[in-house]
Amino acid sequence: MSKAKSKRIVISILKYITLVFGAFVSVLPIVVCVITAFKTPEEYASTNVMTLPESWAYFENFIQAWSQANMGIAFRNSIIILVCVLTGSILTGSMLAYVLSRFKFRGNGLVRNMFLFASLLPGIAMQVSVYQIMYSLGWINFLPGYIIMMCGTDIISIYIFIQFFENIPDSLDESAIMDGCTYFGVFFRILFPLLKPAIVTVMILKGVGVYNEYYTANLYLQDKNRLVTVATSLFKFTGPLGNQYNYICAGVIITMIPALIVFILCQKQIYGGLAAGAVKG
Amino acid sequence: MNEKKNFKSWIQSGKVNRKLCIFVFMLIPVTLLVVFTYIPFFKMIGFSFYDMKYIGDREFIGLQNYMEVFTRKDCFQALKLSLYYIVASFIQLALALYFASVLSFKVKGSGVFKGLMFFPYLVCGIAVGFIFKFFYTRGFVLDTVLQWCGFNLDQLPYWLKDTSINNISVAATSIWRYMGQGMVMFIGAIMSVDASLYEAGDIDGANSFQKFIYIILPNIKTIIVLNMILSITGSLSVFEPPYVITGGDFGTGTYFVIMNKLAHESQKVGLASAMAVVLLILIMIATLIQKGIEKYYFGVGDAEPLREIRKRKKRLELEARGGAR
Amino acid sequence: MKRMLAASLAAVMLTSLSACGQKKAVEKQEMDVTIDQIALGEDYTDIEADLKFLTHKTDVVDTTFKGYIEEFQKLYPKVNIEYEGITDYANDITTRLTTGDWGDICMVPTTVDKDELGNYFTKLGDKGTLAKSYEENMLNNFTYQDTVYGIPSMANVQGIIYNKAVFEKAGITELPKTPDEFLDDLQKIKDKTDVEAPLYTNFAAGWTMTAWDAYIDGGATGDPDFANTGLAKGKDPFADRGDETGPYAVYNTLYEAVKRGLTEEDPTTTDWEGSKGKLNNGEIGCMALGSWSVVQIQQAGEHADDIGYMTFPITVNGKQYASAGPDYNYGINCNSSKDNQIAAMCYIKWLVEKSGFAQGEGGLSVVIGDEYPEALKALDGIELVVNNPAEAGEENLFNDINNDSELGINVSGAVPTQIVEEAVSGSKTIEEMSAEWNEKWTAAQESNGVTH
Repeated sequence: MSKAKSKRIVISILKYITLVFGAFVSVLPIVVCVITAFKTPEEYASTNVMTLPESWAYFENFIQAWSQANMGIAFRNSIIILVCVLTGSILTGSMLAYVLSRFKFRGNGLVRNMFLFASLLPGIAMQVSVYQIMYSLGWINFLPGYIIMMCGTDIISIYIFIQFFENIPDSLDESAIMDGCTYFGVFFRILFPLLKPAIVTVMILKGVGVYNEYYTANLYLQDKNRLVTVATSLFKFTGPLGNQYNYICAGVIITMIPALIVFILCQKQIYGGLAAGAVKG
Repeated sequence: MNEKKNFKSWIQSGKVNRKLCIFVFMLIPVTLLVVFTYIPFFKMIGFSFYDMKYIGDREFIGLQNYMEVFTRKDCFQALKLSLYYIVASFIQLALALYFASVLSFKVKGSGVFKGLMFFPYLVCGIAVGFIFKFFYTRGFVLDTVLQWCGFNLDQLPYWLKDTSINNISVAATSIWRYMGQGMVMFIGAIMSVDASLYEAGDIDGANSFQKFIYIILPNIKTIIVLNMILSITGSLSVFEPPYVITGGDFGTGTYFVIMNKLAHESQKVGLASAMAVVLLILIMIATLIQKGIEKYYFGVGDAEPLREIRKRKKRLELEARGGAR
Repeated sequence: MKRMLAASLAAVMLTSLSACGQKKAVEKQEMDVTIDQIALGEDYTDIEADLKFLTHKTDVVDTTFKGYIEEFQKLYPKVNIEYEGITDYANDITTRLTTGDWGDICMVPTTVDKDELGNYFTKLGDKGTLAKSYEENMLNNFTYQDTVYGIPSMANVQGIIYNKAVFEKAGITELPKTPDEFLDDLQKIKDKTDVEAPLYTNFAAGWTMTAWDAYIDGGATGDPDFANTGLAKGKDPFADRGDETGPYAVYNTLYEAVKRGLTEEDPTTTDWEGSKGKLNNGEIGCMALGSWSVVQIQQAGEHADDIGYMTFPITVNGKQYASAGPDYNYGINCNSSKDNQIAAMCYIKWLVEKSGFAQGEGGLSVVIGDEYPEALKALDGIELVVNNPAEAGEENLFNDINNDSELGINVSGAVPTQIVEEAVSGSKTIEEMSAEWNEKWTAAQESNGVTH
């Protein structure tokens, strides 16, 4: 074997070792959750977290978690919220990024900095004021109101889109405009389709954020029978004098599974996009 | 009929179309931003000048809250803890960048690796405190694994009780939770790099490491720089990990944990608001410094870095002088 | 086409911003009915109302409370009650109260100042009249100028819950009556049995530390006025009194127990859920919790008979006392409609007098004449001390001083938390800490007009 080839093999092995290590570390803490989810209430009360459950086929916790926490309704609500918020924020985010990266106008830097500054503002510090504003708009316990509030831009999505626009050459725009396209047309017909990997990335990041959001959902969607989301449904099992973690863990696993499935499916999308979506000069 | 056509073509004409496009596209995001972020922000600044609770009257006391923030021992003491989180966030950034680069190319089972490393970000916040309490409990998850590696139980410290390392333990959970998010973000950004550049690099005989430094890094610098800024500000205002895992006890209480305690337990809402404003000013200063560094070394967007511009100017001056002689 | 889509999307979003009228006009509805005037099952049986009840007891909303609604509807068939369990109750309820139309009944939070009560809650009656049916000293928490705004759902006694079998095994024959005796007993348990911890503090749960503040007034001094004269207005309340009584004695007990290794090894990772089972089957010696815990711990395992309850080990002049006090109080929204308020009053009256909630939770009922629950019969003979109300005009004094000093007595558990931290890994002694608390307390007193 030539020196170069053996060097490459060593690097390759090291690469895989780091990947395995990374994956192991990521999954390890969750082990506790998985073990607890399969324990009967008596086992949970009497054994400590490290002892394996007697039977891995004990699905009662999952069934209980689903029915008591209204998970059917929760999933329906969460899906509605997800679809609306993602559509809203992807559209408005990419539109904003288009304007900020393609056009030079006086407010450009100001707007960019306004968004950057806003991302530095801590949510908890302003919780009470935001609640009062939502209240004066009449949006407490009001699903569309909550959705609009969540569409509120987050800086990461915008910057991902800006990054993408920077890597798409201006020549594309210019040739389209010379063909008589309006700026709106340039955006919707030419550039938007090229943003596929960015859109998928934003969908994943913002999607998970919205899906797992329990603090604001708990505050604004108070009617737990109608407006429960997947994240707040688990609150059912937290009580003033202690939380029933066997149900919570089962619930957490239930919430993670669809997210993981969607994520893996999106991976195939991105792979497809990578091969096809490059911009040829 | 005629008017309609004129209106339509007026809209489609260059300048008007451009302004219209800018306006319409920015309308919703900026409105949402102002309503849900800036208005509460100004209200909070207002609160900071009063001595007030959530319910009841308030008393205007001017800058007194601010003076208290600077003279109290615990406020700025807590900021020192942010150093742990800053270090943690840079480690997280490096790891995310590394894994993103590795997994953007052909790797066996990359889908599985991506999925597993993204897992932590998917876990609902409610369970995180639970998970880590038991992760760090004596003789439980972490200790068991370390024992497999050959460490003796007696040598292992109390991860959360021992004040010399408990901040490291809590900061580590932050790395665990958010590395996956960073990795996905970088993978997305790397997708934006023109694939033909890699082919060109291959022709020139570049190896993976060189591809990373010369092709990938320069083309995703916007995202990287953003990440750095967010990391530093996130570290200064970190709240969730210490709050959820230790409640801020045993010396893990960061600036925001203390602020939250003041607001909710002692009902000192004005003082807490003042603390938030002071921290914001600090964050703004840190961000401005970073942006300055960014402009100087890396250049914003397509503009060249100022450093290069200065170097070029100097070179031209030298040549002009050399030529004139 | 796509242009149109963008424009119409914008238009829809803008109009919906204004279109949603979910607000109700909130104004206080005047009421002239008081709770003592209602004869349950006879008056207002036809009243129609849909009530919303905010509760902290998320664990029984679907079980016990559903049963209550059914029972109540036998008397008042047209009243519908919807419970909403709130997890982070103390924090959330304050935010909701600020809006004025949060529902009809809630558990009144301690964050509302006494002089604000009338702005949020309905008058339930005059103290003098209500004291004929309910224990007077239990009504004081939410009474302002002789008007009662809240009635306790039950009352708690503060003491120590312990495992009788463990104590027996350690050779303890008599219950400890002073802090020193208690610490010695804990040492015996450590030496002679193999418990995980003689005293389990449950530090990580947070609220378990706040529980220690409940012992420092009535039970530690035998004086029902201590909270006012001793704490709010007294000089240096946290100083060592020299006779093993008072706040210092309570806090010192905790400090010494932790310092001598008589508590758990790692306070930061204590497990509340697991500890219940452990106390039940003898892996833990005792815990410092209110009487409400007895029923829970009995149900946590198979050794219900081993669970005993004693008062905090302090003797004042030869006598033992136990602090008793009301638990969460029921309050009615003064902004609800008149019918809702009346229906709510009927429901509250029923809950307090007929539901059996207090006894089921292992607490004392506030109705005069009701018996002690089974679990607490052992406390017979100990004098219960309930704090007297503050004098007129000084109702907010304790809260204000408490907030300004940031000691958070009965609110945040800052003091016991600090004790455990310093005993484990810090360098301050209990004397140094109590001097600090006294300093902060005195400064807060001065800024609130209390001088010595």
